[in-house]
Amino acid sequence: MALLEVKNLTVEFGSENNPFRAVDSVSYSVDRGEVLGIVGESGSGKSVSSLALMGLIDYPGRVTADSLTFDGQDLLRMPARQRRKITGKDIAMIFQDPMSALNPCYTVEAQIMEALKVHEGGNKRQRRERTLDLLNQVGIPDPKSRMTAYPHQLSGGMSQRIVIAMAIACNPRLLVADEPTTALDVTIQAQIIDLLLKLQADSDMALILITHDLALVSEAADRIQVMYAGQLFESGPADGLFAAPRHPYTQALLEALPERSEGHDRLRTIPGVVPGAHDRPDGCLLAPRCRYATDKCVAQQPLVEDYYGRDVRCFYPLDDNGQPTGRTA
Amino acid sequence: MSFLESKPGVALMEGDNLARHYSVGGGLGKQTATVKALDGVSFSLEARKTLAVVGESGCGKSTLGRQLTLIEKPSSGALKINGAAVGNLSEKDAKLFRRTVQMIFQNPYGSLNPRKKVGQILEEPVLLNMDRLGRKERQERVRDTMAKVGLRPEFYGRYPHMFSGGQRQRIAIARALILEPKVIVADEPVSALDVSVQAQVLNLMMDLQDEMNVAYVFISHDLSVVRHIADDVMVMYLGRVAEKGPTEDLFNRPLHPYTRALLASAPKIDPTQRVKSEPLTGELPSPINPPSGCAFHKRCPFATEHCAQVRPELRVFDGREVACHRVEEIS
Repeated sequence: MALLEVKNLTVEFGSENNPFRAVDSVSYSVDRGEVLGIVGESGSGKSVSSLALMGLIDYPGRVTADSLTFDGQDLLRMPARQRRKITGKDIAMIFQDPMSALNPCYTVEAQIMEALKVHEGGNKRQRRERTLDLLNQVGIPDPKSRMTAYPHQLSGGMSQRIVIAMAIACNPRLLVADEPTTALDVTIQAQIIDLLLKLQADSDMALILITHDLALVSEAADRIQVMYAGQLFESGPADGLFAAPRHPYTQALLEALPERSEGHDRLRTIPGVVPGAHDRPDGCLLAPRCRYATDKCVAQQPLVEDYYGRDVRCFYPLDDNGQPTGRTA
Repeated sequence: MSFLESKPGVALMEGDNLARHYSVGGGLGKQTATVKALDGVSFSLEARKTLAVVGESGCGKSTLGRQLTLIEKPSSGALKINGAAVGNLSEKDAKLFRRTVQMIFQNPYGSLNPRKKVGQILEEPVLLNMDRLGRKERQERVRDTMAKVGLRPEFYGRYPHMFSGGQRQRIAIARALILEPKVIVADEPVSALDVSVQAQVLNLMMDLQDEMNVAYVFISHDLSVVRHIADDVMVMYLGRVAEKGPTEDLFNRPLHPYTRALLASAPKIDPTQRVKSEPLTGELPSPINPPSGCAFHKRCPFATEHCAQVRPELRVFDGREVACHRVEEIS
């Protein structure tokens, strides 16, 4: 059985009568020791779905799901007190901006020890020793002197290592990393991703890596899930997903990347923008921007269906040559 | 003014040993320290060309952008337009200079005044710099420019908050273009945008270059964007130039160890394409207290004793300029 099973997760904001669906019936699962990459542009619901998983969506947001099962227990149907024992310990999260994820008023040591105190107990000396171990593990140079440093004394890369140390303090079985390297430079990004993958492999932890960077996810993930406007558009094994995309959106995203075009030619763009709260189309959400869209796409919303081992939400999934199938011109 | 006419054989924009030092600290008996944010950078830019400036945060690329637009005056060195130095201009000439060199900022959410309508935002530079124009002609100019960057005429009376990031960046581009400058300094113009919108803005910038013969100084940390848009690339490290040369040469065969590390760190869509090398260890050193010798020697896999003591100067090697002692051995 998978470590995490999410079935039809939906997150809504706004009034009951006219809700805005930030996440719309998303299903996925993550196994032990697996890296799941979630990619999408801003507004695709990738961050909101992970916040919902952590139980961090506050009123007036509404989280519903057929099931949200972690290790056999349904997170949505357990008392809040019990759920808090799991989040932060067995499921931990790393946020995008390390500078604002740390409390500026406390030392590094105090912040890491807090998580240990809540979940593991032990006395102060043991907790301090464990903190030193953790700083060593995440590759902080001269960890002893950094213990008493305040966040403003650390660089961005160093702060992100502290945040990672905090997240892995209680040996989580699932780590959710929401844009962990977006605020960092490329050379530091490479270091942090290598660190995350090493920690993941060493402890057979499951990792959900959320990012907008297609190249990053293609290098790091075992399975990839492409999201658009709150819906799952395509998911499948990382091998081959970007080499032969089945969904027109995945194809269009790849073509918009500068590295995919030769020389100084114009880039292929996706016209328009991601639909907002008030201009969502009735049919397929991509229909106004999709170059293959037909009348059926405008009128009707496609469902997620299996297509050669990939989950694709499209009436006309692409074949190996990148051409839509089953479309009558 | 002499800098307004282009002369044959003279570059449109030239930087000669540009430097910008800031003093920091001081107060309550503390010593002031000097940060050499920009330390002797030279370059030249021809009309219609794009020069990209790349490097990690803190390498001085944005400081360079501020010197080029004279938002700040360089501490030393000379900035030349069409061969004439523009370091000490009178008020009147400075105004002419600003018509020649314009800027696009990184964050389109911060660079547009939220209390002004798009029309007013675009009209302001015209009002300040072309006072001969009447109200009608001004508005016509604004509408023409809006059409050029793909903004619909009905946007004239709307406020910036009504637009998405990509649309806002179009407004910022229109504002930079409206005075028909010769050079546009673009500081990370697409880094706040999503991939699909980024492609739209890059296409627009390339189209406008063809149409209006403008030259770009394109400041970016995104190597794949740079490879696509630039003719020449200048890689900076801690306020100095590490390597400079034509884009394709530099990407196909990076010479400086720092350029190599940058290219190797960037993830690739096709994992088989990745040149897997040891990731660069450590972080950018503090510019207040830079390392002796080559600023990169503490992170460099090829560093020797010599590198730690003597600072390498930029020199020509294989059609490019590289600041490395050991470039002959490691290339």
